[in-house]
Amino acid sequence: MAQPLVKKDDDRDDEAEYSPFLGIEKGAVLQEARVFNDPQLDARRCSQVITKLLYLLNQGETFTKVEATEVFFAVTKLFQSRDIGLRRMVYLMIKELSPSADEVIIVTSSLMKDMNSKTDMYRANAIRVLCRITDGTLLTQIERYLKQAIVDKNPVVASAALVSGIHLLQTNPEIVKRWSNEVQEAVQSRAALVQFHALALLHQIRQNDRLAVSKLVTSLTRGTVRSPLAQCLLIRYTSQVIRESPVNAQTGDRPFYDFLEGCLRHKAEMVIFEAARAITELSGVTSRELTPAITVLQLFLSSSKPVLRFAAVRTLNKVAMTHPMAVTNCNIDMESLISDQNRSIATLAITTLLKTGNESSVDRLMKQITNFMSDIADEFKIVVVEAIRSLCLKFPLKYRSLMNFLSNILREEGGFEYKKAIVDSIVILIRDIPDAKEGGLLHLCEFIEDCEFTYLSTQILHFLGIEGPKTSDPSKYIRYIYNRVHLENATVRASAVSTLAKFGAMVDSLKPRIFVLLRRCLFDSDDEVRDRATLYINTLGGDGLVVETDKDTKDFLFGSLDVPLVNLETSLKNYEPSEEPFDINAVPREVKSQPLAEKKAPGKKPTGLGAAPSGPPSTVDAYERLLSSISEFANFGQLFKSSAPVELTEAETEYAVNVVKHIFNRHVVFQYNCTNTIPEQLLENVSVLVDASEAEEFSEVVSKVLRSLPYDSPGQTFVAFEKPEGVPAVGKFSNMLRFIVKEVDPTTGEADDDGVEDEYQLEDLEVVAADYMQKVGVSNFRNAWESMGPDCERVDEYGLGPRESLTEAVSAVSNLLGMQPCEGTEVVPSNSRSHTCLLSGVYIGNLKVLVRLQFGIDGSKEVAMKLAVRSEDETISDAIHEIVASG
Amino acid sequence: MGLWEAFLNWLRSLFFKQEMALSLIGLQNAGKTSLVNVIATGGYSEDMIPTVGFNMRKVTKGNVTIKLWDLGGQPRFRSMWERYCRAVSAIVYVVDAADPENLNISKSELHDLLSKPSLSGIPLLVLGNKIDKPGALSKQALTEQMGLKSIADREVCCFMISCKNSTNIDSVIDWLVKHSKSKS
Repeated sequence: MAQPLVKKDDDRDDEAEYSPFLGIEKGAVLQEARVFNDPQLDARRCSQVITKLLYLLNQGETFTKVEATEVFFAVTKLFQSRDIGLRRMVYLMIKELSPSADEVIIVTSSLMKDMNSKTDMYRANAIRVLCRITDGTLLTQIERYLKQAIVDKNPVVASAALVSGIHLLQTNPEIVKRWSNEVQEAVQSRAALVQFHALALLHQIRQNDRLAVSKLVTSLTRGTVRSPLAQCLLIRYTSQVIRESPVNAQTGDRPFYDFLEGCLRHKAEMVIFEAARAITELSGVTSRELTPAITVLQLFLSSSKPVLRFAAVRTLNKVAMTHPMAVTNCNIDMESLISDQNRSIATLAITTLLKTGNESSVDRLMKQITNFMSDIADEFKIVVVEAIRSLCLKFPLKYRSLMNFLSNILREEGGFEYKKAIVDSIVILIRDIPDAKEGGLLHLCEFIEDCEFTYLSTQILHFLGIEGPKTSDPSKYIRYIYNRVHLENATVRASAVSTLAKFGAMVDSLKPRIFVLLRRCLFDSDDEVRDRATLYINTLGGDGLVVETDKDTKDFLFGSLDVPLVNLETSLKNYEPSEEPFDINAVPREVKSQPLAEKKAPGKKPTGLGAAPSGPPSTVDAYERLLSSISEFANFGQLFKSSAPVELTEAETEYAVNVVKHIFNRHVVFQYNCTNTIPEQLLENVSVLVDASEAEEFSEVVSKVLRSLPYDSPGQTFVAFEKPEGVPAVGKFSNMLRFIVKEVDPTTGEADDDGVEDEYQLEDLEVVAADYMQKVGVSNFRNAWESMGPDCERVDEYGLGPRESLTEAVSAVSNLLGMQPCEGTEVVPSNSRSHTCLLSGVYIGNLKVLVRLQFGIDGSKEVAMKLAVRSEDETISDAIHEIVASG
Repeated sequence: MGLWEAFLNWLRSLFFKQEMALSLIGLQNAGKTSLVNVIATGGYSEDMIPTVGFNMRKVTKGNVTIKLWDLGGQPRFRSMWERYCRAVSAIVYVVDAADPENLNISKSELHDLLSKPSLSGIPLLVLGNKIDKPGALSKQALTEQMGLKSIADREVCCFMISCKNSTNIDSVIDWLVKHSKSKS
């Protein structure tokens, strides 16, 4: 059935190769366009030339403004011809040129004449063109005719006017909205196309008014909509209304569900499908509501039309994600689709089956998939691989056949993305299914024996280094790893050396042999490989003795780099070669947040009113440089953390002030960024008077005055406090800006000599617990959590009271703690009732803290939270709980 | 007109079928579209809407088919007049003779247009319209105020007409028909 269809397509492709216009040139065609100016017009010839021009434009050729204008005016001369075919080409050409040519408005009058012509074709097309070129003022002139056209007897004319209305609604909504009555009349039209376009326009006119849309849907679902396309639109609008209206609490009935279900018995297939899809997409759909929709989709699965099969299987695929049980009825039909000629249908069928399949059918499915894997494109293969991965996690007992399948396809031809998906899947399975580990590692070893992708080889080598030593017989992996040193490029060789060292460190019995291998690597041609080999021989105690590897070495080999790479890069760039070695501990660990709003182009600010005062670039290292350049703060030690700027003034005030809190081990420095937004004033001796009576543990040590603050050029003043060492002291500070005001003559810019002392009240400022926490992420939370151990773990449960949503609760707690969410767990999937969020950070005193938050929400929006903290010191774990308890 | 003469005309139209193109320009509300209607159908209407862009009409008079490009007179269209005057048989310039206030603008627009090199040598017919209104200028005054005497590089002719009363329309048509012959 599909065979002849495909063939026809091929034929058409061949024809396209011999297009009569292939290879025509713009210059030559523009020359030809001169025939438009002939006194005796040859309509046929002119049509041909326009066709060529349109062909060029559609091929992406561009006309310059002059060329387009020239062609446009020549084309307008063709209005003298009465040839209907030529006039049609003229319309097309004007539409095509209208954005690029000047003065297209000149054809307005001619089009208005055509719009009232007796020829239907003229009327319809003239309306479309006119609406394309018109502007608001002209539109009011022709509005009368457009309204008439909407209710024109001829459906082509009415549709043209309605479609034009849809376009015009974007630019001139208030005019189009006046046509409601006519559009409403057109919705009742007997012509299918008119009804469709009228419904679309009517909905667009009312789309911002929920009540009106609801009324529209209510009235139309009762009446009869003849056009299938219009009916499809109506179904979409209906599901929109359903989304926005609540379920009837007493009967549990959903408004309009009966209408959707009725549409499943419509005679047009597209309406049936649209209704079925709408039902499957209802939020919180019940299985009772789903059943009729699934039944019709099941019928479509065995349809002779490929498009219906595709639509049905794609919808079922989506349903399978949320309601796998509902789809199981269709499994038999879908299994027959695995051999469908259309590979997209087959892939969707397979992945749906993998989602809905039960444990017993896995083996049979795998056999079928193997047969068809070679026929499909890489991107479909990736979909299949991902489906198999989730299936394996669902049925861990079946790992053997699934792992075999993965290793088989790993050996076959495939692109990087595909291979990466397979390797990732195997790695995940090894991690999550302990039984699968040894077999999986061997599969990976075999793969790197013949792997063309450096990235994958190094990834696998790294993974082997971590997992391999923990297996029952680590020695069998050594051969595969050492082969890399002989056979591969420098990058892979270097990572093979690292992997060998890890085996050496973890498995004492292998150590002497590893040393032999590492020594051989000392003669490698690549610097990096030699350097690594030397380094590892030394760290492992290269005297050849079998010694217990000490903890530091293991930390060095297995610990992850806990400094953000971006920060390390900036620090290395800033490092100037000197006697002093580069200190990795001096690299700031704070994960950089979004570029702050302060970074804006200088001089672009209008009058400075309302705009946030701009300070120096506020990245951490910039702060550090700024603070260390001030002698009073030089002995405070290393900067632990700088907060984001906190506004202390309302927007649009005379003086705009924000503050950045800099936390040191024994000190806190407030950096006040001030901006003077009054052109007639110069401020001098600007300082902030801080009242710390509500912050008992703090005592003021230094206040650094800002000498002068002219209009619109920001300046900083600082106040420093001393606090007990290492203690996360909190408190509230009230601030008063104090300065001397001098009048400035705006014309000359000169200031008076005499000034007046003045004060300006600022908002209060708080130092909170989160200020003592650095946002430092970890790459693998699970590993970090395990390695921290349960010794200093503190677990407790909290009730958070009623909350808007889980998302809001998660962000409230992570903001309170000021920690970095890991592995994307700050995102709560919609509609979920529970969520686990992972946070990590470094507490003052450089102590790592990991937090696992488990949230649950009940029907009345009460949120409960279980908080588990692990850190290097139990007092810290307690401190975290205190923060949450008091917050 | 005798039968014989009619027959001769018909014969002549068969053998000497002529075509000509005219462009009709002038300030807004001078009566260009009305003139087209009068020439084409003989009808006149007080209620006209401004021409946005141009109208194209074909009129057959005797054995001559006249293509009329009736262009809008509002300022935004004046820059485009020249494009539709190239290669026409004659330019017809309509002036509202009863609106002395705009005569100066009308004069300068006309002379601006005629200075374009692409239009050199094309005959010009200036029509003073609306002579039915009180206070309309005489032909002499119009010729004077429009500076027609200073145009030396082409044939210039001036008629005083009224579209409303169909005054002098015949002579206009005669002049046009005559120029179609001389042209081709």
